[in-house]
Amino acid sequence: MKYQIVIAGFGGQGVVFLVKVLAICAGNRDIAFLGTENHGMSQRGGSVSCDIKIGDFTNPVIDKNQADLMIALEQNEGLRNVSYLKLDGTLVTNAKDKDDYPKLPFKGFAKIDAFKKAEAGEFPIQGLNVYMLGIALATDKNFPFSVKEVKDAITQMNAKVAKQNIEILDHAMRDIKEL
Amino acid sequence: MKQTLMGNDAIAWGLVHANVDMVSGYPGTPSSEILGVVQKIKHQLNLDIYAEWGTNEKVGFEVAYAGAIAGKRTCATMKQVGLNVASDALMSASYIGNLGAMLLISADDPGFHSSQTEQDSRVFAKFARIPVLDPATPQDAYDLTKYGVELSEKLQIPVMLRPVMRVCHAREIIEMDRETNFSPNKGKFERNVARWGAVPRDGRFAQGVEQLNRIEVIKEYNWDTLLKSEFDKCMGKDTLIITSGTGYGFVKETLNDLNLEADVVKVLMPYPLPVTQIHKRFKAYSKVLVIEEPYPCIEEQIACDKVYGKNTDTVHKIDEMSKEAILNALSNINLYDGENIYKTPPSLNFDVEARPPALCPGCPHRDVYYAITKVFKKKKAIYPSDIGCYTLAIAQGAIDTILCMGASVSMASGFSLSDPDKTTVATIGDGTFFHSGIPPLLNAIYQGHKFILVILDNSTIAMTGRQTTPSRSNRNIDIKKIVEGMGIDCIEHHYSHEMQDNIDFFKKVKEVHKSATGPTVVVVREFCILDRERAVDYVPGIFAQVDADKCVACDQCTTVYKCPPMAYNDDGKIEIDPFLCAGCGGCLDVVCPTDAFIQDFDYLKRGK
Ligand SMILES: Cc1ncc(C[n+]2csc(CCOP(=O)(O)OP(=O)(O)O)c2C)c(N)n1
Ligand code: SF4
Ligand code: SF4
Repeated sequence: MKYQIVIAGFGGQGVVFLVKVLAICAGNRDIAFLGTENHGMSQRGGSVSCDIKIGDFTNPVIDKNQADLMIALEQNEGLRNVSYLKLDGTLVTNAKDKDDYPKLPFKGFAKIDAFKKAEAGEFPIQGLNVYMLGIALATDKNFPFSVKEVKDAITQMNAKVAKQNIEILDHAMRDIKEL
Repeated sequence: MKQTLMGNDAIAWGLVHANVDMVSGYPGTPSSEILGVVQKIKHQLNLDIYAEWGTNEKVGFEVAYAGAIAGKRTCATMKQVGLNVASDALMSASYIGNLGAMLLISADDPGFHSSQTEQDSRVFAKFARIPVLDPATPQDAYDLTKYGVELSEKLQIPVMLRPVMRVCHAREIIEMDRETNFSPNKGKFERNVARWGAVPRDGRFAQGVEQLNRIEVIKEYNWDTLLKSEFDKCMGKDTLIITSGTGYGFVKETLNDLNLEADVVKVLMPYPLPVTQIHKRFKAYSKVLVIEEPYPCIEEQIACDKVYGKNTDTVHKIDEMSKEAILNALSNINLYDGENIYKTPPSLNFDVEARPPALCPGCPHRDVYYAITKVFKKKKAIYPSDIGCYTLAIAQGAIDTILCMGASVSMASGFSLSDPDKTTVATIGDGTFFHSGIPPLLNAIYQGHKFILVILDNSTIAMTGRQTTPSRSNRNIDIKKIVEGMGIDCIEHHYSHEMQDNIDFFKKVKEVHKSATGPTVVVVREFCILDRERAVDYVPGIFAQVDADKCVACDQCTTVYKCPPMAYNDDGKIEIDPFLCAGCGGCLDVVCPTDAFIQDFDYLKRGK
């Protein structure tokens, strides 16, 4: 299997948390994993994008037109990075419920206003990363890991907050079905 | 045992598994996590390890180096520009050598992600004539850390490990030793003045001859143990690609993506290279392409007619590696003539507003700079600054120059001498002051240079991940006392979330400075909002909202104060993003000319 995922957001949104969760998923199934994270300067609220390559790869960076999936934790950070996504890939993005979102040519697509949901108290804002992971899980038919595998990894990451995170994940998967 | 690790974690484990029990260094992205993880392992496994931050890289290097002279296995960690600071020690250490082992880790940052230069530490190793190892992945980083420590002890010379950001901050499932059987060397200094205290000319000359001979031996060793088998694996293709570090991974994938064939040699030790043996192997090829980053280190050692690289304009010369850059290089040597597969339709290039890094919401640095620019007006002032989170105040128009750590103070001297009609107001963080701000302040005091120095004391090295400063670990070390010890006053101010207090303070400083004959030094006691230990005591929990009737969209807050939660809404009024506001209360006073920022008492009810 070869699968490449870009996660885009800004500093403080917990992009690196998602990288770690997916790394654990890969480890549990004993498939090769190579990813790259942003630390340092870019963490001060600036744009952050992390690359995840699952399967037989030798460098951790994703080039343009290569990713199978992009999870965008914020609308503009998604648009900034869409050139990394293949046309037959899937884009999952947090974006405002307005009509001005551009028409995009990707095969798979899901858009949801996660900020609005957090503001309405449906989940705490710190869980927005996990929420969008749930949207991706439910949208991308080729997602390399099962819901159970992801939940197990979330539990392994931090058992203390696992219950809340798993609830958020389920919440997201319900929301996307209702869309 | 399989483990999912970031490159820097892998290096830390490599050090422990190589029985290194002295690690000292200085934080700097992308190297910072290495020492922190060693500290964690030390506590987890209850190991007797010295793992501490030095006051700067030179200090860090020298502590570790002395340990290696005394027979221990040691390590110094730093980022590439940190090596500039430690280079004086390194240049001599490479003549003198060591009895135990010393691994020097200098992490490079191709692409300028978090650094002021794109310099190549491998070239520095070549300059210092010490061997350097270049890992391609976290697995390599683990293996080469252990290898480098062994090599250093065997050759009795410091060995450099040069990971780049894409190794330090890459994450991979790696194979590492199952057991940690930690058995460090016992330190025992053996007097040998002729070696440890070699003086010019005869002593050092003799060591210089030894150094040259040693490099020849290492070249042979590089060939016999690392390179020869790589060349032997080659399949007799028409093109040879020689690569090191991350370049290897990019080359392999690009060839695969493009369905091309070439022999690929991965160089683990890019200096010193056994050039004669390598050249012999060139006979079989029409072209040799060198892929490495960021400088042409291998290329310059093996240059000949057949070699293509940066110096022949075949390969990119600046910015980080990408498969697209390699595709272009392969086109340049006519190995590839297809389309650029690493390109998406132009319709997918969206012009979205940049989101540069910014001071955190509620960061005291923002308020202090705001107050400084209110009191010392731009037209009549020069603002030299330094390196740290506070550098981000450049977005507030409160910083004119940034050079390297510590330079704010010495450059303030230079500006005050060359343009005395303006008031020079320099700013420096506490971490940077300890690192390299003290000697230039001494200089300014004894020579009577008239400028204002503001030391922003948040009691942490925030930018690189909140490592502890000397004063944090030992309260007796106090910046105010250090300045007073140099023979001048140090005016102290405690940051206040009421802006007027900060402005009043700097007005007072301005008065004091009028009659000064030398530098006026100020220490502002702050905190870092991400500092869990201290921030709780300082953040008042005053959250902001905007009185829309009062907001006249004057842009003052978004251009001069610039706290990230502030942005225009669809009605053309400023709104505070409730997810971002830190509750510092800083914007409630002075910042808005119409006083539109008011306290949001319902904030907590709305759930954060
Ligand atoms: C020679 C050198 N070493 C290390 C670094 C990495 N670095 C960037 S900022 C910084 C220190 C910042 O600490 P401080 O001055 O206390 O400011 P703060 O970030 O806390 O505001 C360091 C070590 C560097 N840029 N140059
Ligand atoms: S990390 Fe701390 S010092 Fe740096 S910008 Fe944020 S609050 Fe300020
Ligand atoms: S209170 Fe004002 S200055 Fe402080 S974090 Fe909130 S918006 Fe920023």
